[in-house]
Amino acid sequence: MPNKKMSMNLLKINYEKYNLQNGLEVILYKDNSIPLVASNIWYKVGSANEKRGKTGIAHLFEHMMFQGSQNIDKEMHFRHIQEAGGTLNGSTSFDRTNYFEKVPSNFLELILWLESDRMGFWLPALTQEKLNNQKDVVRNERLERYDNQPYGLAFEILLSSLFPASHPYSWPTIGSLDDISSFTIEDVTDFFKKYYSPANACLVIAGDFETNRTKELVEKYFGEIKNNKFIDNLTINGETFLKENKFVLHKDNVQLDRIYLAWHSDKAYSMYDSTLDILSDILSGSKNSRLYKNLVFEKEIAQDITAYQFSGKYAGFFMIAATAKPGTRLDTLKAEILTEIENIKNNGVTEKELLKSKNGIKSNFIFSLQNIDSLADQLNAYNFYLGEPNSFEKDLERYENVSNNEIIKSVESFLTMPYVELHIVPKDKG
Amino acid sequence: MTDFIRNIRPLPSGEIKFSLPEIQKFSLVNGLQVLFIEKKNLPIIQINLIFNAGSKFDPEGKRGLANLLSMCIDEGAGKYDSLQLSDEFDMLGTHFNVNTTEDNIYFMLQTLTENFHRSVELLADVLTSPHFSQNEFEREKRKIIIRILQLKDEPEEIADMVFDNLVFGKENPYAFPIIGYEKDLNEISVDDVKNYYKELIIPNNGALIIVGDTTKFEIENELNSLLNNWKQSKVKNTKHVSNLSEKIKLFIVDKKDAVQSEIRIGHISSGRDESDYYSKTILNMILGGQFTSRINLNLRERKGYTYGANSRFGYFKDSAYFYVSTSVNLENTANAVKEIFNELNGIRNGITNEELEFAKSSLIRKFPSTFETNKQIATNLTGIYIHSLQDDYFNSYLDKIKAVTLDEVNNTAFKSIHPSKAVVVIVGDKYKLKSQLEDAIGTEMVEVDFMGNKITS
Repeated sequence: MPNKKMSMNLLKINYEKYNLQNGLEVILYKDNSIPLVASNIWYKVGSANEKRGKTGIAHLFEHMMFQGSQNIDKEMHFRHIQEAGGTLNGSTSFDRTNYFEKVPSNFLELILWLESDRMGFWLPALTQEKLNNQKDVVRNERLERYDNQPYGLAFEILLSSLFPASHPYSWPTIGSLDDISSFTIEDVTDFFKKYYSPANACLVIAGDFETNRTKELVEKYFGEIKNNKFIDNLTINGETFLKENKFVLHKDNVQLDRIYLAWHSDKAYSMYDSTLDILSDILSGSKNSRLYKNLVFEKEIAQDITAYQFSGKYAGFFMIAATAKPGTRLDTLKAEILTEIENIKNNGVTEKELLKSKNGIKSNFIFSLQNIDSLADQLNAYNFYLGEPNSFEKDLERYENVSNNEIIKSVESFLTMPYVELHIVPKDKG
Repeated sequence: MTDFIRNIRPLPSGEIKFSLPEIQKFSLVNGLQVLFIEKKNLPIIQINLIFNAGSKFDPEGKRGLANLLSMCIDEGAGKYDSLQLSDEFDMLGTHFNVNTTEDNIYFMLQTLTENFHRSVELLADVLTSPHFSQNEFEREKRKIIIRILQLKDEPEEIADMVFDNLVFGKENPYAFPIIGYEKDLNEISVDDVKNYYKELIIPNNGALIIVGDTTKFEIENELNSLLNNWKQSKVKNTKHVSNLSEKIKLFIVDKKDAVQSEIRIGHISSGRDESDYYSKTILNMILGGQFTSRINLNLRERKGYTYGANSRFGYFKDSAYFYVSTSVNLENTANAVKEIFNELNGIRNGITNEELEFAKSSLIRKFPSTFETNKQIATNLTGIYIHSLQDDYFNSYLDKIKAVTLDEVNNTAFKSIHPSKAVVVIVGDKYKLKSQLEDAIGTEMVEVDFMGNKITS
């Protein structure tokens, strides 16, 4: 079992955090063990900041950020970093958009130049041709990764069933095909002007660098970018939670039936978030986990089963999905799942189950320290959700402190409430 | 501070210092070769134990045997039944899994240093005393057969399986899927699995790769005693050669109402051991190996046909292939195929010096970042073992990349890219695609099932 003291020392991440005059937050974390440096920027904007009818713009915009800026031609953002032997990408979630690079440490200035140019000087390079091209690319992305995948629409259906139409988590980050097609130059221009301000971003630099020189470079490249003073005070109006169970049937090009059950749960880093993570592991994370062992290993009525706590800034949900073996009815799987939840509510879990999950989580924390780029992203995540980049120990403690009592309370608080039940079945059936 | 010109790309600040970790090579008493790199920055150890026992050794009529073995081998071993064994690993927080590729079976383990001893004890149980009980065997087999059914839903998987099947041809063991065929699996008995294990999971048929926070002394100390009853035996071999197709061939796997089409275009290629490896690596960087390659910039960034398109030279131990892979919307399927052929023909006319320098710079400067995590380093060592590369492979890598000339890449492009002998595999809606594809390629479309067998209507 991982020794507590050892892991705690490893998880003390010494960093320095400061702000530029224009509001850009900067976090520096030094690790000279390999001559690499990672840059990771979080913009505090994601699909939750969108409106219905304009879904997918945060993600489309992420694509547009790779289309060049005033001093970088189209394609050259990628090319400069690749020529330096670096890797790069970006991603969009409900809550944030991130952009990240990892390069040999002598190329730090190159990535600061590229990131600052698109933060401050992106607009002059925008053209209708680039927008049209990336709308096509994103439509293809949606078709390839969602519409053409078996069960690929499940997430979208669950979100729209679980959340009221006004809730910003009720649509997926990729957006709808119609919305993606509708975006104009004005839409993306407005989006940039609102959200891509230095005061709405946090830059993490992690790896092999020299601190004073790096601070000078950050000031040189980002210091002159104007703060637009825009603040998006996103508020969730009205009742989020379901009042009664909801059933949805969806026919798809699939061979096997699959059932999804989804409940509202806790937000990221709130009271029961880590408890529900552990519960998901106890239900389906290993061969001995309750539902896997019962349904997949012993009764062989499911081909696979997964339980998952999703949590964001504005909401969370707990999901269980199981694929039925041929000949098994989804109602049978549902009854088994609900019986197990009832059982945990009444009897809790064992100390051994708790310890096993906690040991796995601790090991994963330490395994995750190997990548300087994932470490940089984690510093940004902690800073965004908790206001403190070095929250590795605190985060691990959230899991250490989960007791049987809390498992039971989390089940009572969330998994006994109304839920969405989605069945995805073959087109020629059901 | 703000008085500078933004349109000038900043130069690198000096040169970085990177020294390759030292590879220690030795053998255990039972003859198992060990490749070890000591790395102490974190208390983590990665183990890749590899055997030359992949699906290419599956006997005719029993395709899927190697994969079934890898599914069964950790379903109970030593004094533990299946659930107990899994529990032992989980209590340590150790990641352990067994995988099959065309060439190899891998036992992969990632552990904290403090659990190294206990983790290798369990690994030794799995390796030397698996139960292979009838019940566990039957359950794993049923799981695989249903997994085969599920593959029918997955267009990328189908495209890859069918491409392998049609490019390598029925005689070559790389032609059939690792997972096997349902009818073959029904013929496999638990004794087949036991025999396969006895013949192939032996110390003189593999290598142990270890990277991380331990020492040679500790490895020998632990493993010589744990594995002293595990004995050598005669090693099996297999080798088959495939030939290029005579002409372009067009195959489709029908996915009714599919909104996207999966595309694979390619042919067999020269092996990993050939001297043209470095020029092929550079060639592929330019053609389709990364985001700003010719193929991706054309199909994605100019035409908007796809979310991404790429090409690769794939190397098995005894065979290799080249292919272009993408997924495009239905309407542009034939247009995308035409553009891919344009790029394949275009590259045969040569590359520019600028492209050459870009590819070299990228590969050379990227090199240190491929030694960041224990897993990455173990993967690098695994490559050395699988392809029997020289001991100084990593030490000479940069010089060999630097030495590649424009003429060599141009020659390689001409010798290694064969659009006129390509096999085209499409997974999509056959009724909507038939005429656009036949017109674009100028050959008749042949329908095959998801395992690559011709469908005669």
